[in-house]
Amino acid sequence: MNAAAIAALRLLGGVILAGLVWEAAVVGFGIRPHLLPRLSEILAAFAVTPGAYWAGLQRTAAETLIGFAAGTAVGIMNGVIFFRAPLLRDMLLPVFIVSQTIPVIAFGALVVMWFGNTLFAKAVIAFYLTFFPVTVNTLLGLNSVDPRQVALLRSFGASPRQILFRLQLPMALPQIFVALRLGASLSLVGAIVGEWFGDNTGIGVLLLQAMYNESVVALWAAILCAALLGTGFYALVAWAERRIVFWGAEQ
Amino acid sequence: MNATAAVRGAVGAVLILALWETLARGLALPAYTLPAVSQILAAVAEHRSVLQAAALVTGFEALTGYVIGALAGIGVATLLILARPLRAGALPLLLAINSVPVVAWSPLVLLWFGMGVASKIVMVALAVGFTVFLSALAGFDRVDRRSVDLMRSFGAGRFGIFWRLRLPAALPLIAAGLRVATVRSLIVAIVTEMLGAYGGLGWIIYQSVTLIDFVQVWAAILVASMLSLAFFGLVGALERRLIFWR
Repeated sequence: MNAAAIAALRLLGGVILAGLVWEAAVVGFGIRPHLLPRLSEILAAFAVTPGAYWAGLQRTAAETLIGFAAGTAVGIMNGVIFFRAPLLRDMLLPVFIVSQTIPVIAFGALVVMWFGNTLFAKAVIAFYLTFFPVTVNTLLGLNSVDPRQVALLRSFGASPRQILFRLQLPMALPQIFVALRLGASLSLVGAIVGEWFGDNTGIGVLLLQAMYNESVVALWAAILCAALLGTGFYALVAWAERRIVFWGAEQ
Repeated sequence: MNATAAVRGAVGAVLILALWETLARGLALPAYTLPAVSQILAAVAEHRSVLQAAALVTGFEALTGYVIGALAGIGVATLLILARPLRAGALPLLLAINSVPVVAWSPLVLLWFGMGVASKIVMVALAVGFTVFLSALAGFDRVDRRSVDLMRSFGAGRFGIFWRLRLPAALPLIAAGLRVATVRSLIVAIVTEMLGAYGGLGWIIYQSVTLIDFVQVWAAILVASMLSLAFFGLVGALERRLIFWR
């Protein structure tokens, strides 16, 4: 059996153990179902309408992934443009940095008004929540490249394009992945909040419906879905980081 | 940042605002596409008292939750460092709670604590608490194993090592966590208000969306941004005062 299979089995064992502890704690300590229902009740809620949860999971995952992918691509491109054009960078970067400190998620309301209650609108929210940190960190990473290495490559006759793809971008990857890990959680938050402005499917919708029905079991079921999606997505990004930045990630 | 860069930055900001104003005015864009900057500022001035009251509510929620969350985050991290056996049991539970996107807790917290300010304070404390807790724990763990051994060989106790070694080493990371948490505190307060509240900027944004009052949405976002910037600046200034050796 290889290492990955053992790790997967161990993870599965941990999840089953956590589930048993949950069930035993609720029964044993007599926790009121208003606070924390038994895990078996929540799983039963999944079993009653598996379609609704599955559809919600797919929908929110699609919104998050599309927005995240677009935000990554445009963010990296933008970082490179800022790196190449110092005048543009000096003029726009302060605005970008200030935009990191304002509650940009509030613009979600406007985005939904512009694009309607579509998958696209939520993807746009996830997009810009990813886009800003990726731009800033791409630039940070590109700036941290040792100028002597650039000079060395240039002396061997490397074109600016070759220097960018062979040296500068790879060296910037650890910084970029710091932003991607942040973006992975932010884009999911953006998608969920975007769904609150009115939609028919999605984890945000499931959360909202459960709240209006004051159904704590349904709420916990939706929270578990959100946790599953969040953890899965974050693990995916972390896995990609280990594969791509094999020489060691930055913390 | 040098003087040229500062001037360029100012020019960039002015250019963006000018472009925005001309586009909105020149193309006579309807308010739902993009209201002009001057329109938004006029709306802020016109609804000054309403926005001010809302900003006070949101600011109170964010600040109270921030203080509670920051203290709890540092406190729990300290506890887990000093009481090793506790860590093995508590850390997986805390990480499981943290694996849920923070806004997904909002509906549940609203059901538990009602529509008033209490639910927002709890949500902000939760978000800030985890941000600070994770950075504090990483900071406490960052110390060199050999430094711990050295201090122990000189007879330092667990508290001595914590106070003289771990805490100073962790402070820069804790400060970074506290800075990031300022922005999160306002975001979480606003997002939770959108779900249900009796007042606050998030509530105004949600109401204005349902009333299709686009200029008001922009005005509330502008006020929220100002609040966030002020809070971020305040914590940054405090940090420079307190961690003077950086």
